[in-house]
Amino acid sequence: MVLDDLGSSLRGTLDTLQGKSRLSEDDVEEIVKEIQRSLLSADVDVSLVMELSDAIETRALEEEPPGGTTARDHVLKIVYEELVDLVGDSTELPLESQTILLAGLQGSGKTTSAAKMAWWFSKKGLRPAVIQTDTFRPGAYDQAKQMCERAEVEFYGDPDGEDPVQIARDGLEATADADVHIVDTAGRHALEDDLIAEIEAIETAVDPDRSLLVLDAAIGQGAKEQARQFERSIGIEGVVITKLDGTAKGGGALTAVNETDSSIAFLGTGETVQDIERFEPSGFISRLLGMGDLKQLSERVERAMAETGGEDEDWDPEDLLEGSFTLKDMQKQMETMNKMGPLDQVMDMIPGMGGGMMDQLPDDAMDVTQNRMRDFEVAMDSMTDEELENPRIIGQSRVERIVRGSGIEEETVRELLEQHKMMERTISQFQGMGDGDMQRMMKKLEQGGGGGGLGGMMGGGKGPFG
Amino acid sequence: MFDGLKDKLNDFRKDVEETTEKDSDAAADASDATATDAATGTPAADDAADAAATVDATSGPAEESDTDASAADESDPSTFQRAKAFATGRVIIEEEDLEDPLWNLEMALLESDVEMSVAEEILDTVRETMLGETRKQVETTGELVEEALHDALLDVIAVGQFDFEERIAEADKPVTIVFTGVNGVGKTTSIAKLSEWLADRGYSSVLANGDTYRAGANEQIREHADRLDRKLISHEQGGDPAAVIYDGLEYAKANDVDVVLGDTAGRLHTSDDLMSQLEKIDRVVDPDLTLFVDEAVAGQDAVTRAEEFNEAAEIDGTILTKADADSSGGAAISIAYVTGKPILFLGTGQGYDDIERFDPERLVDRLLGADET
Ligand SMILES: Nc1nc2c(ncn2[C@@H]2O[C@H](COP(=O)(O)OP(=O)(O)OP(=O)(O)O)[C@@H](O)[C@H]2O)c(=O)[nH]1
Ligand SMILES: Nc1nc2c(ncn2[C@@H]2O[C@H](COP(=O)(O)OP(=O)(O)OP(=O)(O)O)[C@@H](O)[C@H]2O)c(=O)[nH]1
Ligand SMILES: [Mg+2]
Ligand SMILES: [Mg+2]
Repeated sequence: MVLDDLGSSLRGTLDTLQGKSRLSEDDVEEIVKEIQRSLLSADVDVSLVMELSDAIETRALEEEPPGGTTARDHVLKIVYEELVDLVGDSTELPLESQTILLAGLQGSGKTTSAAKMAWWFSKKGLRPAVIQTDTFRPGAYDQAKQMCERAEVEFYGDPDGEDPVQIARDGLEATADADVHIVDTAGRHALEDDLIAEIEAIETAVDPDRSLLVLDAAIGQGAKEQARQFERSIGIEGVVITKLDGTAKGGGALTAVNETDSSIAFLGTGETVQDIERFEPSGFISRLLGMGDLKQLSERVERAMAETGGEDEDWDPEDLLEGSFTLKDMQKQMETMNKMGPLDQVMDMIPGMGGGMMDQLPDDAMDVTQNRMRDFEVAMDSMTDEELENPRIIGQSRVERIVRGSGIEEETVRELLEQHKMMERTISQFQGMGDGDMQRMMKKLEQGGGGGGLGGMMGGGKGPFG
Repeated sequence: MFDGLKDKLNDFRKDVEETTEKDSDAAADASDATATDAATGTPAADDAADAAATVDATSGPAEESDTDASAADESDPSTFQRAKAFATGRVIIEEEDLEDPLWNLEMALLESDVEMSVAEEILDTVRETMLGETRKQVETTGELVEEALHDALLDVIAVGQFDFEERIAEADKPVTIVFTGVNGVGKTTSIAKLSEWLADRGYSSVLANGDTYRAGANEQIREHADRLDRKLISHEQGGDPAAVIYDGLEYAKANDVDVVLGDTAGRLHTSDDLMSQLEKIDRVVDPDLTLFVDEAVAGQDAVTRAEEFNEAAEIDGTILTKADADSSGGAAISIAYVTGKPILFLGTGQGYDDIERFDPERLVDRLLGADET
């Protein structure tokens, strides 16, 4: 997702400072070089990188770390402040009547984003309409129309029209009843003078409340010049970054935000109309600060895995995503989690699970969870290998035997089997997926609350731990 | 395209010349300095005194050079070598002389969207060439830099070039070409352009729309086909992409068409589902050529996706679109480098004629051309 790769590579750099309480000039120089590298490989504009790193270097050398602060935290804070200063809050979008003009390079994702944004506004209870003014690209009318059908929002276009300005005017009139007008335009780049003049004319006719620049996450150093030109001709109030479901880091958007003195409005994360998110600076901030520290988590996991794996050679965590998920796997998973440290600390390191989510849980949720896990372990110790490998064979008589053997209540043993089933179901859904598919899946889980996995373990009130 | 890089490369050339000139001055200074040492009887200074004497005897510039000895580091052992080299009219380029100019060159390459690891490889080549060979040569530093850069860039960018037209001419007909790449880079438009390019050279083609996914995809390619008066094979949305292209091939066989141009839906390499669909298309259709399409405006990510697409359905070459929108062109260098496959065409606009054969030699010459400053 946007900028969190950036965040994690920065954190990697900063980890080298761990334990130090003072920074030498060499330390700072080293760290600044690394910061430059990570920003540059995220496509942030070279001169902007130099500006940022100069500011960071100066501050790191000049500012005295407040008492009790480690050098790492001090630099982290400076890096964070400089970046946040640059990114700012997400573009303000009042939930009221407004007209939004979309502009950007050919193929950057304007038409798709227009439908997505309309979908987003409709979910907020407003009535949106998309107006397609692209008279140039073959199939542009049909594309926008079909996307709007999928988003179930109003659409206006004229397949035979030749004048985008006229279509824009007619469209605004024809969709006067809608609250939010989203005007899509043909793709164009900074060097196409005639097309730049055209969008200036559209802008004048439409008189939008805000114009958004739609940028592909993969755009390179050209982002600066493009953003500058669009800013000059129509004025840019916000940036939409698309195709963030890929591997591009979206640093070009930082450049554009800087160049247009604007902010990030939306993120595009897929081809369907639901694949849109508002930019959340706070999420970005906490990730950047290492609150959702996946890297640290994965290191701990790896260490714990190495320990667990040493005892049992034929168990490979990778199997989880391939073969079937047995009770044995669940046992290993729980052992691993225990070795990582207190559960609440582990949870805190999982993005999306720390902070807010932890606050929503009852105070004793962690203790309850940990006790349950201990009971589960005891119960599993009383199971035969055959039962662990193939839980389906555990019928009433076996349950009774396990209860007798382990001294754990029957209800708990049943909950264990139920929990296993849920996790098995979740994991089978993840099998054979790539990052992009996984992301979509996660979102579905978030939206539909599919249970299972760690989230299921947590119970959230109604699961076995509630 | 590439104007940005050109300017920066010129800067680099000047940088190195300046640094090494300064060094020559310093060497001259150093020889003066060591000569002074010799006078005071420092044992190690004999050689240096010789060197200094030679400098005085054989070369003019030493007399003009500043005699302020404080600029030179007297304890630096390379002082002798520098002095000797200077005496014989050579310039030694040392690691430290290159450090700043190479850093600037790296920035220049990054500013031109060359991917970081690729830029580093290029720098390594330049560094090695310059360090290794300067000692033997008598050319000016500028020439050396130019040569090192020229070779390094050409090495990368000229990889695997072949004559596309000849390939088409010689292949058994029909020739099937499948176009792959991420979303919105210009696959469909490039197909329309290439169909026209082929027609200009006397080859007929049929378009097959393997994009059975995106909204408006059928309408888009249909309009291109209508305008160009080409046959289009397409199925309903949601159909099997491999089957469409296969039908295109059947049509071409039955109707003596030379080339099948098979489109595919844009996809990101992070989706395993869509990438394995691409593998399937590749397996079922077994195209004669697979062309990877990417855009010149792409930054560092160009390398990752080129690698992934090449992995899923091995490519034979790349079409780099939207070159009209971007003056840096580093994506060409990155993609050619990681795939080891040639850049074949540049897309230079939205018109059907806006397609050019990519010529690496011309490009590098233009980049480093002596006529430009
Ligand atoms: N994976 C992914 N694909 C996207 C995203 N946004 C847009 N796309 C795809 O990118 C391609 C181009 O999107 P369009 O919406 O047609 O782009 P555009 O800016 O309207 O293009 P022009 O009108 O030709 O300038 C299409 O294949 C879209 O499906 C995204 O967030 N993720
Ligand atoms: N300026 C410029 N625009 C181009 C070039 N090639 C394609 N385009 C434009 O880029 C946009 C996307 O082109 P498409 O051909 O639809 O791209 P695609 O890769 O087929 O897109 P998907 O099928 O959605 O993945 C269109 O607006 C094209 O007109 C080029 O060389 N220069
Ligand atoms: Mg569009
Ligand atoms: Mg297409």
